[in-house]
Amino acid sequence: MSLMVRRQIPILIVFVTALIIMADYFLQLPPIDAVTKKSWTSSLVTDIQNWGIVLAAFALGFGAVNLSYLHTRHISRRTKGQWPFSIWLLLIIIIFAVTGIRYGATSSTYSWLYNSSYFALSATVYSSLGFYMTSGIYRALRARNLESMLLLIVGAIAIMRNAPAIAVAAPIVINMEAWISAIPTTSAQRGIMIGAALGAIALGIRTMIGRETGFLGRLTEAEKGG
Amino acid sequence: MGGSEQKGIWSRLENVPREILYGLLLIAFIIPMVRPIGFPIPISDESKRWYNWIENLPDGSVIMIDFGYSGGGEPELGPMAVAVYHHMFRRGGLKAIAMSTSTEGPLLWEKAMAEVNPGQYGAQYGVDYIHIGFITGTETAMAAVGKDLRATTSTDYKGVSLDQFPIMEGITDASSFDTLIVYTTGGDQSEGWVRQWYTPYQVPYLCSTLAMMVPTMLPYRNAGQIVALLAGATSGQMESLVGKPARGIKSADVITTTHILVLAYVVLGNIAYYASKASRKG
Repeated sequence: MSLMVRRQIPILIVFVTALIIMADYFLQLPPIDAVTKKSWTSSLVTDIQNWGIVLAAFALGFGAVNLSYLHTRHISRRTKGQWPFSIWLLLIIIIFAVTGIRYGATSSTYSWLYNSSYFALSATVYSSLGFYMTSGIYRALRARNLESMLLLIVGAIAIMRNAPAIAVAAPIVINMEAWISAIPTTSAQRGIMIGAALGAIALGIRTMIGRETGFLGRLTEAEKGG
Repeated sequence: MGGSEQKGIWSRLENVPREILYGLLLIAFIIPMVRPIGFPIPISDESKRWYNWIENLPDGSVIMIDFGYSGGGEPELGPMAVAVYHHMFRRGGLKAIAMSTSTEGPLLWEKAMAEVNPGQYGAQYGVDYIHIGFITGTETAMAAVGKDLRATTSTDYKGVSLDQFPIMEGITDASSFDTLIVYTTGGDQSEGWVRQWYTPYQVPYLCSTLAMMVPTMLPYRNAGQIVALLAGATSGQMESLVGKPARGIKSADVITTTHILVLAYVVLGNIAYYASKASRKG
């Protein structure tokens, strides 16, 4: 494939698409439809977004196919410590897929299957984090130095605030936690968010002008443009 | 001899086996589950703000609800969703249109509706409430539904045409909605709705997330982009306000007992740490 097809055309598509979506988000470019009061870019962006949804749905299916391919290989090669789990995984995929296709993904049969297997297991695994956290708190929340003492104090206030009965018995922790949330936490979080947003803008501009080529797949250094 | 014994005790206490910590936590968890204690629950300003917002919506208001959580987050966010649905149906005069940005959303929505039992309020599917299905693409889905709902999906979650439901009359895009409620276990969803619905369309946004996600969402709340931000763990407060005690109030007892135990662990761990340090010096 020529460099034009592998690099220039995809970058041009990304540039034009991103420009249209940004223009539609920030501006109302004339001509404006008299009835809907929407810009000419609106219907174009609706189509682009719907393509995005279709592609994301396709990616879900593609992921399932890829997963099946990967684990079929594990089974055929008898990968040590893996292949029995691969059989189990494929079996579950097949059971859910067949039930979903046969009865529908919102049928009572499918709901029963989901509620009595994945839902219960998923909630259990997530809940078990509480035990690990408790053990971690016991060992880590110790006033070894000034920084860890600060962490301990803030952690203790948060714990007391989140325990309903303690918050009722000692309402001062509600005000303390509110101050911690509104001032230090929000300030720090804003700093992180603004930094990440600036990074995202820089990445977006670099992608649009072809300086970031990760989305194109594997290219040689020459194809990347140096 | 005595000194080394003492040193041994503090050292052992400093490194209590995790099985003991887990065991005590399990006891603190099971007791209030089996025999609810009925600890008092403080109603926060945030819960009152959420409640009053729904209460003061004009009749005929349309609410978009995203069931964007997964099965793992259901024990925390499910009770909140159920309590808020109770409130909306009891209040009446509101249209609740749900969608899901999580694959499991429609199943979890069905689970929530089974708990709510909308029939007890005379609410009808397709008239007072509906679910328009899982729409893939997360933030792209939010943007697309906001821009043109009918171009994005034409059926409800069971594949029935939206044209058949009276609730969907006049619903075209984000400007058709008066409030947005999001229950989510994902940062992409909770922040994405700010970017795709609040910023361009100014749709008032009520957000309920996992407790650990609240700090991430606080800047949006404090900037006024979110009307009310609640951790799912505070669903007991919403149940109290709505007058429908259920799983949330029960879990409030559990939260209190387990948090008291964790505080005791912190105190004990620090005493053991300093005593062990002192005995080592001695």
